[in-house]
This record gives sequence, structure tokens and C-alpha cells, in this order.
Amino acid sequence: MKKSGILHNVRIVLWALVAVAAVAATYFTVVPRERSLDQGVAFYSTPFKLTNHDGAEVTQSDFLGKPSAWFYGFTQCPEVCPTTLAEMSQLLDALGPDADKLNVVFVSVDPERDTVEVMKDYVAYFDQRIVGVTGELEAVSAMATARYVYFEKIPLDGGDYTMEHSANVQLADADGYFFGTLDGEEPVETRLAKLRRLIE
Amino acid sequence: MKRLLAILAIAMASPLAAGAHDFTSGTMYIDHPMIQEAPPGARVLGGYVTLHNQGAEDDRLVGIETPAAEKVELHRSTVTDGIARMQPMTDGLPLPAGEIVWLGDNGTHAMFVQPDKRYAAGDELPATLIFEKAGRIDITFKVEERSTDLAPGHGEHPQ
Ligand SMILES: [Cu+2]
Repeated sequence: MKKSGILHNVRIVLWALVAVAAVAATYFTVVPRERSLDQGVAFYSTPFKLTNHDGAEVTQSDFLGKPSAWFYGFTQCPEVCPTTLAEMSQLLDALGPDADKLNVVFVSVDPERDTVEVMKDYVAYFDQRIVGVTGELEAVSAMATARYVYFEKIPLDGGDYTMEHSANVQLADADGYFFGTLDGEEPVETRLAKLRRLIE
Repeated sequence: MKRLLAILAIAMASPLAAGAHDFTSGTMYIDHPMIQEAPPGARVLGGYVTLHNQGAEDDRLVGIETPAAEKVELHRSTVTDGIARMQPMTDGLPLPAGEIVWLGDNGTHAMFVQPDKRYAAGDELPATLIFEKAGRIDITFKVEERSTDLAPGHGEHPQ
């Protein structure tokens, strides 16, 4: 009698634990799927004021409401930047009509040389759908810091300089949450799959 | 190497490359010097060339001169830990005896700084390659349409 009473209590405790576990599991799997805990702040919604390739002022809100893909480079870059932009154009073509669901932005990390005029011709050469962004060096630096993007001016012989910069394309969702990166080393199909997941 | 093969395959399929475009001086064989068409506004051009040192002695490409740009520098672009960088090849490009070396492999390139005009596919640029032992050899770079297979960290697609 006594023994079965204890068992009964144990069973109640166990069922209670199962219920707690079930609630916890729901919380940790279902809720975070919407917005994972380690995503932290939506750093792609951090305020900025820069200029697009048509000379118009742009802010963070111009690129929210739709997912976006961002590349940070400079026009006097002989290889990595033109290749990345050409590949972004190919990816937009591969997305077909779905390309409209994505903002693609090229931010100059060399705004001193990359004026609005330079950016306009440069970006148009690759794809009319890519938005070129430049502006005050301080504003670009602040944006890069907020987004964990690295760039630095490297002096060359004869007073010239080149730029070191983050090579990946960064992805953000419509609310400005970081969504991952596109890496030039990974197959184009992988990058296309990531973009499809982003705009779904 | 994989990339070199890919480039060769593209080069052979490309109608632009159909006419042989090579130079020989002594034991130095210079094949397919080309420049990628640059976007408007870009004040740099990337140049590439295959060099076959058929001599018995090691040689070295130490520089390139052209009347068509302010200067030409030998560089290597790299992408390491997600950072794109470009460094001068201060010792030039080594050309071991008997070997075929592609300026273009591993991010190496000739950077034409401040060309005198915009160069589009089909244009040509005269240039002089300067070798440690083979001396100065006059050649012509042909401008070709941009391919996405040249940049470091790109084009190694397993296909
Ligand atoms: Cu360079």
C-alpha cells in the first residue's frame, strides 16, 4: 500500500517534469526559431546617413523591410571586388523574378576616392539592381564598426594606397538581423541556396 | 593549378583567344598576355600572362613597363580569414628553369595603375616585360571580357 503510494507520487513528479520539459523544449526550439537568442541586436538597423550612387541621401530604413546582401569594397580593387560584384549579378539573374525581394548594396570603404560619379558608373557596369553607397569617411567607418565589418587603408610606395577589407558578402533579414555571409570560396549553388533561404 | 586548367579551358573556348597570341625571345616563351576589362571609373587594370622559361637557368620577372599607364606593379591578392588584401611582390615572380608559371595563379597579377584611357574588350596595350636574365621583351596585352574565375578566393568551384 505504502509502496504504491510512493510510486504514485513519484509518477506525479515525473509527469510534472515531463510537462516542464515539454514547455521548455517548446520555448527553446519553437520560439528561438523565430529569432535566435544569439542574434542579439539587429545591427543592420543601426542608424546611418550616406549617399547612394544617384547622389540621394540614404539611411538604414531604405534597406529594411526587405532582406539585403551587402558587400564592402572599393573601385580601385583589381580582382576581389569586381569579381564579387559580377558574381552578385549572376546570383540575381539566377534568382529570376525573386531578385526583387532582395536589396543588394555595395558600400565603398574608400569614400575619399569613390565619389558618387565614380560609384554610379562602376555599379551600373555590373548590375542596375545593385545600389552603390558612399559618403563621409566617418559615417562609413561608423557603419562598418556597427556591423563588424573591417577595413583599413594600407599605404603603397609613391604616396598611393590600397584598402584591406572584409571579403564576404553579409546578409541581413528584413528587420535588420544578421543572417549570415556569402563566401567567395563556396560554390555558387551554395550561395544561391543561402539567398533563397534569406528571401523565403 | 586547377585554376590554371580552368583558365586554359576558358581561353581555348573563347573566340577572342582563337588567334594565337604569344611571343618568344631567346628561351623565354610568353603566352596570352591579357588584361581583364575594367568597369568604368576603375583606375586600375589587372593583367595576366603565362611565362615558360625554356632555358637552363632560373629567371625572374622583375617588372613591367607601359606607355599606357602611370605605372605597373606586380601584386598578389589574398583572402585570408575573410579579409581581402593586396601586397606588392617585392622580389618579382620567380621563373624556375623549364617551368611554366602563370602570372594570375594564387592571386598574382600585374596592376596597371591610372591607365591613359578606359580600355574595353578588344583593345590592346603595348608593354615591356623586364626579366632578370632574359632582359626586356616587348609584347602586347589584349583586353578581354571580364571572367569571374580570376580573383583569389573565387573560381575554385568544384564543378
Ligand atoms: Cu594589385
